[in-house]
Amino acid sequence: MTKILSVENIELYYDHIYALKGVSIDVDEGETVALIGANGAGKSSILRAITGLRPVKSGQILYEGQKLNGTSASEIVRRGISMVPEGRRAFPLMSVKDNLLMGAFTRTDKAEIEQTLENVLTRFPRLRERYHQQASTMSGGEQQMMVIGRALMARPKLLLLDEPSLGIAPKLVQDIARAIVAISRDEKVSILLVEQNSRMALSISNRAYALSTGSIALSGNSKDLMNDDRIKAAYLGGEI
Amino acid sequence: MEQIIANGLYLGAQYALIALGLTLIFSLMNVLNFAHGQMYVFGGFVTYTVVVQLGLPFIVGLFASAIVLAIMGAAIEKFLFAPVVRRSKRDESTMLLAAGVAFFLDAVILLFFGEKQRGVPKIVNGVFNWDMRIIMPYDRILIGVLAILLIVVFIAFMNYSKTGRAMRALAQDKMAAQLMGVNVARYSMIGFALGAMLAGLVGGLLVTITGVNLGMGGPTSIKAFLMIMIGGAGVISGAIAGGFILGMMESVGLTVLSAYGDITYLVIFATLMIFLAVRPQGLMGKPWG
Repeated sequence: MTKILSVENIELYYDHIYALKGVSIDVDEGETVALIGANGAGKSSILRAITGLRPVKSGQILYEGQKLNGTSASEIVRRGISMVPEGRRAFPLMSVKDNLLMGAFTRTDKAEIEQTLENVLTRFPRLRERYHQQASTMSGGEQQMMVIGRALMARPKLLLLDEPSLGIAPKLVQDIARAIVAISRDEKVSILLVEQNSRMALSISNRAYALSTGSIALSGNSKDLMNDDRIKAAYLGGEI
Repeated sequence: MEQIIANGLYLGAQYALIALGLTLIFSLMNVLNFAHGQMYVFGGFVTYTVVVQLGLPFIVGLFASAIVLAIMGAAIEKFLFAPVVRRSKRDESTMLLAAGVAFFLDAVILLFFGEKQRGVPKIVNGVFNWDMRIIMPYDRILIGVLAILLIVVFIAFMNYSKTGRAMRALAQDKMAAQLMGVNVARYSMIGFALGAMLAGLVGGLLVTITGVNLGMGGPTSIKAFLMIMIGGAGVISGAIAGGFILGMMESVGLTVLSAYGDITYLVIFATLMIFLAVRPQGLMGKPWG
């Protein structure tokens, strides 16, 4: 397996407070990797560092063997990394169609964009029904499907998902989990999934890292972690 | 009655075009461009220079205004607003900068074009007369139609072009737009250039009817702000609604209230104060905060 992403020993600060102190993770091609941990453990900061939304203080991020540090957020999409941000961040006043087309913003191959759009609409039939509807009028779950579709419109090699289950009705969380599994199966894409819903994240990923206050506390095969007592105690319902 | 509506529509189309430029800049960059009126005046003088002094056709003058103002807008954004937005966390900074740009442009206009009122000769002659119910010179009709056409083109551009879509995305969620690959710096500049271009175009249109002079900049900015406050700042439909509403109010006021002296704007301001007390976000806007 070749590594598509490796994050090496990064440190990241907000003002003078550290969010990450020496975190290393890697993602192999075709793999789904989960980052779990409590609120404020630094999960989202890792994604922000990868996408260039936040500069890292030290350490480096390699994507397909090349450095990503200092690459702008808009350039990173062109290199094949798409992010579904926390809180969905749909374009509220745009139609589903325009939201999806924004996902293909960096692409110029018109005919192939049509093809990708068709694939996304087939994957999420709900979006076809709501194609001309304004995004803000849809439910949280539908919007989540839409922003995942929007990210796929860029035909990414690496898909970053930040808390896709946050604020979604429990029944729809399952749908989203299934969609992530299906995407990983059908597309040539590696997935880095950040989730507070550790049970869901561990059940659909190959490997996982558990973060605690800015560093990796545990890592390993997701199945093993699911049965790990420490994980059970800390992340799967027990008290910390 | 028909006359009042026709006048209102004519005025409203110009106003809506000015308000669209202002609201575009506001929605993309959160900048209140106090220099918008000056940009409009500048556009008028560019058309005047090209048509009267160089003797070229009106349409060339109009294009020249659009191009000069677009370049000016891009430069002002890139070298003045962008650095301030990047360094300052406070909205007041860009407001002060915008006010400074307004004074600066006033000075530039004085320097290049002088303090005299300037106009260009009528581009078409004759008066349209519908049974004495609507009387309107053909040149006003032409300018009104051109303005409406430009509004339609602008809306189509914002809705159906890739650039327009990117600007809407940027206005609605900057971070998400970045994640889609939209280069914020570049599209802020394009938006500012486009907003300034619209102001310049209206200046170029109106110089054929009312002429322009140095003193018009400030009052025009204030009118433009009135419009986007009526309609709701940062919303395209709001700018258009605000423009036409102000145009209508002015038209009605000038006809109905003229017997009581020049009190149209007094009444408009008083009405607006009451309206904003009830609905501070304007007609189409979202509540701020």
